[in-house]
Amino acid sequence: MPDLNRRSALSGIAAALVLDGCAKRWPKGANGEERRVNFYNWDTYTGETTLADFEKATGIEVRMSLYANNDELFARLRAGNPGFDVIVPSNEFVTRLGMSGLLQPLDHGRIPNMANLAPAFRDVPYDPGRRWSMPYTWLVLGIGYRKSKVDGVPDSWKWVLDSDRYSGRIGLFAESDDLIRLGAKYLGHSVNDVGPALMTRVTDMLIAQKRHVKLFHRDEGQDLLAAGDIDLVVEYNGDMAQVIADDDDLGFVVPREGTLINSDSLCIPAGAPRPDNAHRFINYLLDAQVSAGISQTIRYPTPNAAALALMPGEYRNNPVIFPTGPGMANSEYGRFEGIGHIRAVDEAITRMMAA
Amino acid sequence: MKEQPARSAPLLFTLLAVPPLAWLLLLFAAPLAVIWGYSFGENRTLIDIAITGSWANYARALKPLYLAILLKSLLFAGITTAICFIVGLPVALSIAFAGPRARLALLVAIMLPFWTNLLIRTYALMAILRTEGQINSLAGALWGTVAVPLGAGPFEPLPLINNNFAVLVGLVYVHLPFMVLPLYAALDRLDRSLIEASLDLGAGHLATLWRVVVPLALPGIVSGIIITFIPALGAYLAPDLLGGTNSQMIANIIERQFRSANDWPFGAALSFLLMYLTFIALAVQALAQRRSAAREAQG
Amino acid sequence: MGTPSGPLDYLARWPLRLWLAGVGLFLYAPLLILIVFSFNDSRRTTAWRGFTTRWYASLFEDGELLAAFGNSLVIALVSTLIALAVGTATALLLWRFRFAGKAALEAVLGLPIVVPEIALGVAFLVFFTAVVPWPAELPWPLNLGAIILAHATFSFSFVALVVRARLASFDMALIEAARDLGAGEWLILRDIILPHLVPGLVAGALLAFTLSLDDFVITFFTSGPDTITFPVKVYAMVRFSVTPAVNAASTLLILLTALLTALALWLQGADLGKEAA
Repeated sequence: MPDLNRRSALSGIAAALVLDGCAKRWPKGANGEERRVNFYNWDTYTGETTLADFEKATGIEVRMSLYANNDELFARLRAGNPGFDVIVPSNEFVTRLGMSGLLQPLDHGRIPNMANLAPAFRDVPYDPGRRWSMPYTWLVLGIGYRKSKVDGVPDSWKWVLDSDRYSGRIGLFAESDDLIRLGAKYLGHSVNDVGPALMTRVTDMLIAQKRHVKLFHRDEGQDLLAAGDIDLVVEYNGDMAQVIADDDDLGFVVPREGTLINSDSLCIPAGAPRPDNAHRFINYLLDAQVSAGISQTIRYPTPNAAALALMPGEYRNNPVIFPTGPGMANSEYGRFEGIGHIRAVDEAITRMMAA
Repeated sequence: MKEQPARSAPLLFTLLAVPPLAWLLLLFAAPLAVIWGYSFGENRTLIDIAITGSWANYARALKPLYLAILLKSLLFAGITTAICFIVGLPVALSIAFAGPRARLALLVAIMLPFWTNLLIRTYALMAILRTEGQINSLAGALWGTVAVPLGAGPFEPLPLINNNFAVLVGLVYVHLPFMVLPLYAALDRLDRSLIEASLDLGAGHLATLWRVVVPLALPGIVSGIIITFIPALGAYLAPDLLGGTNSQMIANIIERQFRSANDWPFGAALSFLLMYLTFIALAVQALAQRRSAAREAQG
Repeated sequence: MGTPSGPLDYLARWPLRLWLAGVGLFLYAPLLILIVFSFNDSRRTTAWRGFTTRWYASLFEDGELLAAFGNSLVIALVSTLIALAVGTATALLLWRFRFAGKAALEAVLGLPIVVPEIALGVAFLVFFTAVVPWPAELPWPLNLGAIILAHATFSFSFVALVVRARLASFDMALIEAARDLGAGEWLILRDIILPHLVPGLVAGALLAFTLSLDDFVITFFTSGPDTITFPVKVYAMVRFSVTPAVNAASTLLILLTALLTALALWLQGADLGKEAA
């Protein structure tokens, strides 16, 4: 093991077990807050040196904790904030958290780097006036497919939601909400305002389609596709970009009927112990250089125009990271539509899965 | 001597009774009481639950849609427990009757896989079972060397994953030690002379197993069945990752209520429905045991 | 049974050996594949692309993962000790005494096993944030306290069940004899009952340790900003892909726990052998 440096290993263990063990005290900074910020984030969702660079620049240490999806984040915070300063929910959950009083309003005066954002992201329907959130990444759902096993480009939701052509080779997203929304989109409706009649129609369509579907995945669809378990899968462009880089028999398309856009966004939860550090951290992440560094690692599309300008053409012109075509023009954010709607969706999915 | 009244050794009784009772009350009953309250509540907003005393959540849980899933889950947990028992009994026997060194080695060998994270273990199982996984490659290679020269068609991958079979394999894989450990603990202190006598009298090993070992080890078997069946009933990862499109179990529904559906009252009602069932089953078992013990004491 | 021989030496019989080998293959094949692919020179774990140790190197530079390792082991060890003490007391209480509400206690004892993990997780979440708030940002290891208490709660009834099964067959004549010889309650407990319990205690402790080390749901809901554990890290890691880094981390955890257990069992081996003889 040439590159396994014993000293770094030992010091790593020492840092983990001993330094953490001693009651670590954070000195106070000029703003009167302890020089730390508790960041609650998805895993591998920053640049390789982003957090260390922030500490170097400001003396504030970033302590990161992890969650795996928005539902977990919401469940963890709904009874009270155990001490997180910055979180990264997706668009619909920004709305949910904001309306539930679980977020602090952002002070735009302390986030001058907001000017770096692309105009389309400065004001968004899920957070009018950017009161609660700053965009970090965005992504769209589409169909990932194995070129050699599929005829042409499967550019319609029909091929996964309403057709026996690829029977037994289809993987759908288990995220119930999105399935209903995409079904509605396929039938020519908006992804929002799905009433009971349309919901029944979509559910019945999915029940009929089920015998052609091989599996429901929890956002690991790109791996199942790469492993050859399935030939078509509903997945996010950012996840597909990773596997396509390894295997050029894989492709990604946003179906022409349009799709769902998502945007993971930086927010400060209510009761955050260090709001000023949190603002400084968010502003830092929106810096053009820093944001470009993050995009180098995670390769999701960035809403940061100044950062995009710094990126190589290989990223900017990548058709998986930045899909084009009629489907993109016809894409929408999913809206939060009340607790009654969530319940109706869950019953519909339970019915579909049990059928 | 069987059980004695608490009065006969008050100090010992107090010392033994206070820690578990206090623990159960403060750290189990109290947190759970909140959830129990929720099961009679309704969602007012995304985060505000009003405890209204309504039975609506239980009524919803008893709808045929959910009852059917519950029955299916009971069936799956039952089959899993049965397979674990059949697979685990010989293993527990071997451990119990092995020498001290071999016994330690076997115990560790049984437990070692279970110190790997459940999710990782399930993914490892997926890797083996999948269409282009190791079992299928092996079977494919065998088919290619044996069957194809004899004129058979090309190899069709075995459907090992994304169906109910895979769910059962996953459940057995995860729950086997829950069965082996209590069986081992019970078999370990069996009176060996009884087994030897049975063998000396001409009974075969299998007959001895059924007629002598199993009845003697019954308490351990019962606890093995309980602590295998109940967690299997609550499994949600195996159906989620290994199952196909109709493999959802009751725990998947419960899990969804506390996460994506954000419906804690309904999730609470479903959870407590499971708990009421178990509570009744365990109480009946305890009563039956006491009655048979009393009968023995009289006779 | 110090030197096994005769009809009960099941290990020497070929059908049982075959059976054990089969079970071993079933249990270990997935793990072997996992370990092999932790050396795979590709971000994917499905196709072999060559040998590398870079995933291990990256692990040792990941302070977060090492801290998660440390946290998980501390939580598992402490909660196992608590579960062992409380669980054994429960088993002894139920075995030894007759008292009002005994059947109810026995049934309640089964509940921590039957409560769906997620319901218990949410119960602890509400309890430790809204009812009895666990202070945030305590120094390590106190910040793990809420997680440890939660783990001990769900694992002690497993211990109680296993120990109870062991007690069921205890030869009461031993106690009568000891009492006739003038031994008091304490002496009987310490010198007769506890030694008899050792295999049950080992089995119970192994179960409790496993449950704690593996738990994700309850840990997630009781963890705060500085208390990431290994399963929480893993669940977050696989959101993007099961990379060989996850496999490498698991391989290390397998090795580490195997070493610890081997050590613990070896230290106790003498006692166990004596007791079983």
